[in-house]
Amino acid sequence: MNEPKKLIDTPSQTAGPFLHIGCTPRITGINIFKSELGLTSFQDISDNEAINIKGKIYDGNDEPIIDAMIETWQCDENGNYSSNQGFARIVTDFKTGEYQLKTIRPGNKINTDGSLSASYITFWIVARGMNRPLITRMYFLENDLRNDLMLNSIKIEDRLNTLIPYTEDNKNFIFNIYLQGKKETIFFEF
Amino acid sequence: MIKKHQPLRKFPDYKSSISRSPNKEPLRINSSSSEMSGPLFRENIINKNDNDLTLNFSKIGEKPLGQEIFVHGFVKDENGNNLKNVLIEIWQANAGGKYRHQNDPSNIKLDENFGGCGRFITSSDGYYIFKTIEPGAYPYPNRGTEWRPRHIHFSLLGSMFIQRLITQMYFEGDPLIKSCPMINSIPDINARKLLIGKLDLSKTENEKILGYRFDIILRGKEQTFFENKREGL
Repeated sequence: MNEPKKLIDTPSQTAGPFLHIGCTPRITGINIFKSELGLTSFQDISDNEAINIKGKIYDGNDEPIIDAMIETWQCDENGNYSSNQGFARIVTDFKTGEYQLKTIRPGNKINTDGSLSASYITFWIVARGMNRPLITRMYFLENDLRNDLMLNSIKIEDRLNTLIPYTEDNKNFIFNIYLQGKKETIFFEF
Repeated sequence: MIKKHQPLRKFPDYKSSISRSPNKEPLRINSSSSEMSGPLFRENIINKNDNDLTLNFSKIGEKPLGQEIFVHGFVKDENGNNLKNVLIEIWQANAGGKYRHQNDPSNIKLDENFGGCGRFITSSDGYYIFKTIEPGAYPYPNRGTEWRPRHIHFSLLGSMFIQRLITQMYFEGDPLIKSCPMINSIPDINARKLLIGKLDLSKTENEKILGYRFDIILRGKEQTFFENKREGL
């Protein structure tokens, strides 16, 4: 029996340098929509539970990318994904290239096989020069990362630290993303 | 690892892709709940004229300059099922090829009646429609000065984050398509054609508006069309 023929999914194209017009229009001075999407990842984040993540995305010349958009997607504090929260849309600063995200720390939950789910935030990145999006994850604990990615079969030991942010207080995190070079971030494909 | 219907990340003819693409192969992992879930947007975020770019920014009684067009079609999954509740956001240049954006260096005039963005959520049968004006072509620095074919940017958010897509629709018959490095970064020549909106004379309004048909296919959970096995890292 033949499998039904699948359609080819539409090719990606770069979002270009002016993606803000469509995705974050208020930045360009266009105020026609009811709301800007993904302004906050969760409603009413208390000071107590808030974490702050910031960083830059460096290109192959070690220059911060000033026209990128990052969409983040994560579960709640109990490890559950919900279609009405957990999504944020942030852009890198036109001058400095820095992005900033205020969110909550994603939780762990027990999987059906008894294992504990990993705590991470998905970063989905587009910009001029990127024909396809780049997808990476920010993990909070290296142990989570090892279990989650079943790393025994993969020789990327020396790059695991690219998925872990720097923090001194577990409240403020610096997560830089490097497209090339010695510190090249691990990007995923599914 | 090459999906020939998706563009190469590093495609030297498109200069800025050289420094803005990783040098190492991506790590292929199975999708999990973070890819199989996604944010859902509903009609309550949409105003009535969000999908009419000839009205949503213009002064009362005025219109942007340019040829008015409809762009419409269906959003489907790989099995041909129509996808409802997909958020589509579009953005584009005005009829002269100028974007309403502080970083656009072009000295072409802005159109005071044109913002250049729209939103729509696909209906229960996966259908969407925008009314807008035909964007102009414009020059940009690449290998010397090159010209972008006329295009509209499309962003789609389906029910799963793995379906997330940003792409561009080009216009059937545009002679600039052939030399565009962004289109040519797609190895499969047939897949390039999927980005071309087809003239659709059946879609009009009082015979004053040109129609273009552009269907969009979002991928599913499984990655299909791998030509090669994974090369590792």
